[in-house]
Amino acid sequence: MRTLQSQSTDIYTDYVRDWKEKGGKVLGYACVATPVELIEAAGVLPYRIKAFGHPDTELGDAYLARFNCRFCRSCLQLGLDGTYDFLDGLIETNGCDHLRGMFENWQYVKKYEFFHYLKVPHFLREDSLEYFTEEIGLLRQALEERFGAQVTDERIRKAIDAYDEVFARLKRLYALREKVPPAVSGAEVMRLVCTGSSMMAGDFSALLDEVLAEKENAAPLPYKARLMILGSATDEVDLIEDIESTGALIAADALCYGSRSFWRREGESGDPARLLAERYLANLFCPRMFTEYEKRRDYILETAKRAGVDGAIVTYNKFCDLHGVESVSLRMDLEKAGVPVLVLEKDYGSKADTGRIKTRVQAFLERLGK
Amino acid sequence: MYFAGIDVGSLTAQAVVINAKGIVAYKSIGVKPHPVQSARAVVDMLVKEEGIDWSEIRFCVSTGYGREQVQAEGLSQDNVSEISCHGMGASWLVPEVRTVIDIGGQDAKVIRVGKGGELVDFVMNDKCAAGTGRFLEVQARTLGLSLDELGTVSFQAERALELSSRCSIFCETEVLHYLQRGHTKADIAAGVNRAMAERVAALVRRVGLEKEVTMSGGVAKNAAVRAELERMLNVRLIKYDTDSQIVGALGAALMARKMGGGS
Ligand code: SF4
Repeated sequence: MRTLQSQSTDIYTDYVRDWKEKGGKVLGYACVATPVELIEAAGVLPYRIKAFGHPDTELGDAYLARFNCRFCRSCLQLGLDGTYDFLDGLIETNGCDHLRGMFENWQYVKKYEFFHYLKVPHFLREDSLEYFTEEIGLLRQALEERFGAQVTDERIRKAIDAYDEVFARLKRLYALREKVPPAVSGAEVMRLVCTGSSMMAGDFSALLDEVLAEKENAAPLPYKARLMILGSATDEVDLIEDIESTGALIAADALCYGSRSFWRREGESGDPARLLAERYLANLFCPRMFTEYEKRRDYILETAKRAGVDGAIVTYNKFCDLHGVESVSLRMDLEKAGVPVLVLEKDYGSKADTGRIKTRVQAFLERLGK
Repeated sequence: MYFAGIDVGSLTAQAVVINAKGIVAYKSIGVKPHPVQSARAVVDMLVKEEGIDWSEIRFCVSTGYGREQVQAEGLSQDNVSEISCHGMGASWLVPEVRTVIDIGGQDAKVIRVGKGGELVDFVMNDKCAAGTGRFLEVQARTLGLSLDELGTVSFQAERALELSSRCSIFCETEVLHYLQRGHTKADIAAGVNRAMAERVAALVRRVGLEKEVTMSGGVAKNAAVRAELERMLNVRLIKYDTDSQIVGALGAALMARKMGGGS
């Protein structure tokens, strides 16, 4: 418990500060399609950009419109107001147009010396895998040029192994949450996944070891119903806490700042660039992959079944086209499979919405007879 | 043996007392700044005006915004969401009801209930004020009409004008534009009510409509919106015999009776 609660939701964590003070470089990225192994292999700290429930957007609004997702506007706000000045560069991806708008406006105002656009195909085919392999090669080259490190095949392999260690531990943590009764809450898990997304793999593994040691013998948590949460990118630990305060334990997730970021990372190629392309492109459970709805649906149904949930919350931020559209089919398919669904459209980080969110979750539990 | 329900909404607060047979007394007031104050005030009034001895209440359930605080203050023994309570209350008043459309000042909900009034499914507006009483309020103000007039005047309309924006603020601009172009208030009001009904109908379609249907909450009192909804959904909206604003508190009282072993 102690180890877990000391994980702050600060943007500039002690870990990152320490890293910087020792002369380390930090690169910001947002989408899970960014091969962090490559960044680590260059000796640089990959930092997944978060807003951590800071809903202010007034600077961001000068560059993005009100109908851009507020998560993106909040991240841009923190970029513009200096909170993210510790970054040494940004890696843009074409996750969705809102994200691209965020990155390009950020770079337009702040002008990082290192700014790289990694183009991620929207389809999984042989030719798109080849294309992505080339793209990864270009990122590798850019990292070498800017940070002066030799990103050798061997270093990439080592980084891949280090991440596999992390994922194995995260899966053990998820198992603790999915068991009946659970030993870890959904909010705790999200806090940890977020913390780890701004640490080097080896250090995150060590932290996870401590947490696991604590949690493996922890007292089980009380709950009224076991739910799963899925949907768009959100790092809102508060949201999960609010939901869990109604007695709904989030026993499983298919979130971008959750299981989707690590659950399946596999590939078989011997060439490291190609291997990374496979590990990422072939295992991207996001509606940005236009033709792979069935794969995502199966992944979600599989998760719901494994965790034995009573229902699912499909959540997305207002104006999120990708997840907003997908929520319709997901709701129908989950219900067909016997999993009742609450669709929760929300504004990022809005404290004023807390009451309304809790009302809907409570009513959902009542609907489940809990 | 008495049971009570307290519903503190965003604009009004209600308390209902029931016994094994039915409603014994009820009261409705405008809210105070804090939900607990509202709950206290409405209970005090019920005690004073209806001669209810509150110590005889065996079990009380709170609902609505602030339901948890009301319980934390010891005014109720449990809390249930307003969504379940509205469904329960409506189903007690009209046993055949399967769909309840509840449009309040800030929330719009469509609630599907089973035979015993149990919650089957629901949707609640999540976007903004579109489709809530607030939308009507904004447009009525722009037209210089009271909320009641907005409903009645539109029956004199020759044709309802098209209002295309989903957003209350943009819609206000459209209303102003029509006013400046010299259209009658009746035609514009009819357009406003129709736009409102369209939004509610869309919400209804999200959970699916099952007969019979009732409507509660403040907007239920706007006859033009009701008429438009009946036409769009091709149903008759059953009216309650009692005040449509106490449905939530009544539902809470029924829950209290169940939890307190009264039925
Ligand atoms: S929440 Fe939706 S719109 Fe926002 S970044 Fe994610 S996918 Fe894009």
